[in-house]
Amino acid sequence: MRPEVKKKMTETVLEEKKLDEKWEPKIIAFLCNWCSYAGADLAGVSRIQYPPNIRIVRVPCSGRINPYFIIKSLTDGWDGVLISGCHPGDCHYISGNLVARRRFAILNELLEFFGIEPGRVNFMWASAAEGERFANLVKKTTKIVKEIGPNTKFQKEW
Amino acid sequence: MENKILKKDQIGKLYNELVGEYKFYAPKNHKGNISFEQIEKPEDILLDYLNSKIPPKSVLFPKMEVLFEYTLDDKDVEITDRQDLDEKTLIFGIRPCDAYSFELFANFFSSHGNVKDEIYLKKKENTTLIGIGCNTPRTTCFCTSVNGNPFKKDDMDLFLTDLGDSYLVEGISDKGKSLIERLSWLSNAKEADLKKSEELAKKAEEAIVTKIDAKGAVKILETSFEHPIWDEISEACVGCGTCAYLCPTCTCFDVIDETDQYNKRGRRIRIWDTCQSCLYTKETSGHNPRNTKIQRCRNRIMHKFSYYPKNYDLLGCVGCGRCVYLCPVNNDLRVILNKINKIEKKEEKKAVV
Amino acid sequence: MGIDTENQEIENSIREIAKKLLSENQVDVIIGYAEGTIPLSSTPIFIRKEEDVNKLIWNNLCYINLANYLVPLMPQLCDSEGNALKIGIVAKGCVGRAVNHLAVEKQVDLEKVKMIGIRCNGIVNRSKINLEIGEKEILEVSISGNDIIVKGKDWEKKFPYDQYINDLCKVCKVKSPSASNETCVGECEEIESIHDEFADVIDFESKSSEEKWNYIKEALEPCTLCYSCRQACPLCYCNLCFVDQNLPVWFGKTAELPDIIVFHLIRAFHLAGRCVACGACSSVCPVGIDLNMITRKLEKIVKDRYDFTSGLNAETLPPMMDFKMEDTEEFMLEED
Repeated sequence: MRPEVKKKMTETVLEEKKLDEKWEPKIIAFLCNWCSYAGADLAGVSRIQYPPNIRIVRVPCSGRINPYFIIKSLTDGWDGVLISGCHPGDCHYISGNLVARRRFAILNELLEFFGIEPGRVNFMWASAAEGERFANLVKKTTKIVKEIGPNTKFQKEW
Repeated sequence: MENKILKKDQIGKLYNELVGEYKFYAPKNHKGNISFEQIEKPEDILLDYLNSKIPPKSVLFPKMEVLFEYTLDDKDVEITDRQDLDEKTLIFGIRPCDAYSFELFANFFSSHGNVKDEIYLKKKENTTLIGIGCNTPRTTCFCTSVNGNPFKKDDMDLFLTDLGDSYLVEGISDKGKSLIERLSWLSNAKEADLKKSEELAKKAEEAIVTKIDAKGAVKILETSFEHPIWDEISEACVGCGTCAYLCPTCTCFDVIDETDQYNKRGRRIRIWDTCQSCLYTKETSGHNPRNTKIQRCRNRIMHKFSYYPKNYDLLGCVGCGRCVYLCPVNNDLRVILNKINKIEKKEEKKAVV
Repeated sequence: MGIDTENQEIENSIREIAKKLLSENQVDVIIGYAEGTIPLSSTPIFIRKEEDVNKLIWNNLCYINLANYLVPLMPQLCDSEGNALKIGIVAKGCVGRAVNHLAVEKQVDLEKVKMIGIRCNGIVNRSKINLEIGEKEILEVSISGNDIIVKGKDWEKKFPYDQYINDLCKVCKVKSPSASNETCVGECEEIESIHDEFADVIDFESKSSEEKWNYIKEALEPCTLCYSCRQACPLCYCNLCFVDQNLPVWFGKTAELPDIIVFHLIRAFHLAGRCVACGACSSVCPVGIDLNMITRKLEKIVKDRYDFTSGLNAETLPPMMDFKMEDTEEFMLEED
């Protein structure tokens, strides 16, 4: 038998996703507990509308973010990743976000170098009082990821 | 039965006739790495080669193999076993050393207690081996030192000898002989062809320059477990495992589970593993009996040249030489075996003085 | 001066210094390179006696980074009580960089290490030559003048030296170790910083995302995840590598493309600001993958952002062990 090119389950699902006009990206958001999570909470309490595409994971500090979380999200099939922390100088743990900032810088450059579309993984600062800022930036992220399209690069074929 | 002739420009015809019934594997060149791949068009078959980098064990014992898949339906688990074990496979162009390695594989996958590896054994049952003798062995080959020969035919179904622009075809096993009968368009071999093949066999055996006293090493290793020579032998090793991964007789594997939680399904996979990895013998308690590189390096040599002969009366090495020319730090097995052979002599000298 | 004459001088200097260090008991063991038993190779050797120094060689096939043997410390390099011996190490530029960087990460005690500095003149690209020769057996490789001569049973081929060395060696800026006279004997020069245009990386970065992904995919596709690159790297010394973790399992170990890309991506991330661009990872790869583009990108990131090059001295903190209020953050998302 000649080697067949079997159409695996994931390929069909992904093709359907790409053609679907109503496709909405799924974005995972890692928010630091003291600033960004509180900011998201404030946005909710103030009834500020923002797209429902993000799923929030609360972490104690943006410095807790291990690059494994970001890469694993991409391999698991998430279309976008958003990481948010306190503004530099305002970290509850003094310097957690400064450590994180260097990690993000290098990871961002490497992701772009490997061909992951710029805009899939985003980093931002949002403080506990900036509910509106948080909502605006989530709107922006969703718009960017929607334009890039579904994450098809890390799918395993089986 | 009569020996036949297969002309090299008839390989395409052979492929087209057999590809309908068999999964046709042959050496293929991919970016300079030769390995046994499933052939899509006969022009891809590589005929002019010394030996493949990745041994043909990768056809029946691939780097990654799915053992079974499962789906979750609420509380029920449904397991799907492998469906393709009855498909027939044909491996074309295998060398005598690699064909002999399948003997050692059969030993490993069926001899341990009452456990038989159904997946491997079923695949091997449905496999036909068409081998080609080595007219020009490499300088690193030493099959003749480990009960092998560049023209050893016993482990093949069909044996081909490269006569220049054609192959002499000999049926060895019943499977091979019935395959020849199927290929009725093969022309008969002449006396001159048979004579030429015998000459080539003799020349090939003489061309093997590396000679090692493997039997002597086996004897010395029986009493050398604690010898300080292992410190010296394992110094340069980096523990990469290339020797084990690319060895045609190494069979160790790891079993891992992969789940696709979003789609409620998963699969169990077996992947190649190596005793050179520091985690190979780590136990759940945290204790690791082979904690140092010295112990792991020693284990590999002892496994091939001491434990295997002791337990199964077989040498665990086929002399293909891959570990010699592919080791990144050139930790040459031939040099190691020669060092081991010198141990007893040194100690004898001491006793005299 | 032809490459072969340079090699002879370097070899003589290594043997002379090695003999001196051993005879004066400044070191207990010397790690160097010896002649390989097969063409296009060399093998690391551990010399403990003066009469063995003539086994030390220098040819352009010394691709292993000897600093790999310093961490984790092997029993062969310790005395009977488990204390590290005094070690001499034949150091081309990248080996020196690795030793310095390991000292910054407190894995090596520089008081116990002596670098035998040499001015490296490049390492031959084994996979490139093997690819050109094809399936014929190579029986002998030698350097004559500025040519690499490869011989088989009844054939011979010549390659121009400058074109057939590793891509990393072609742009190397640290050819001999950067260390003080106490740590390094022989050829060493204390380098403050390097100057590099990174034209090759800028050229790659101008491609579109799709093109970059396809290039990386094609380059890494033969990878079998054997982890030889990780084992040969002097800076990959973790007791438990992230791929071997199973509480939790982060990434798969199958040889499928997503697992391959993720392994190399994360290993590159772990080496940011630590990689010394020795090229050992590419030289030891059994399927001939060339990781030089990733290495060059790592050098460029830390040089452009933090003005840092690893291994130039044993004091400066590497970028991932430090942070500043004024760090660049142009990649952060901002409101429109």
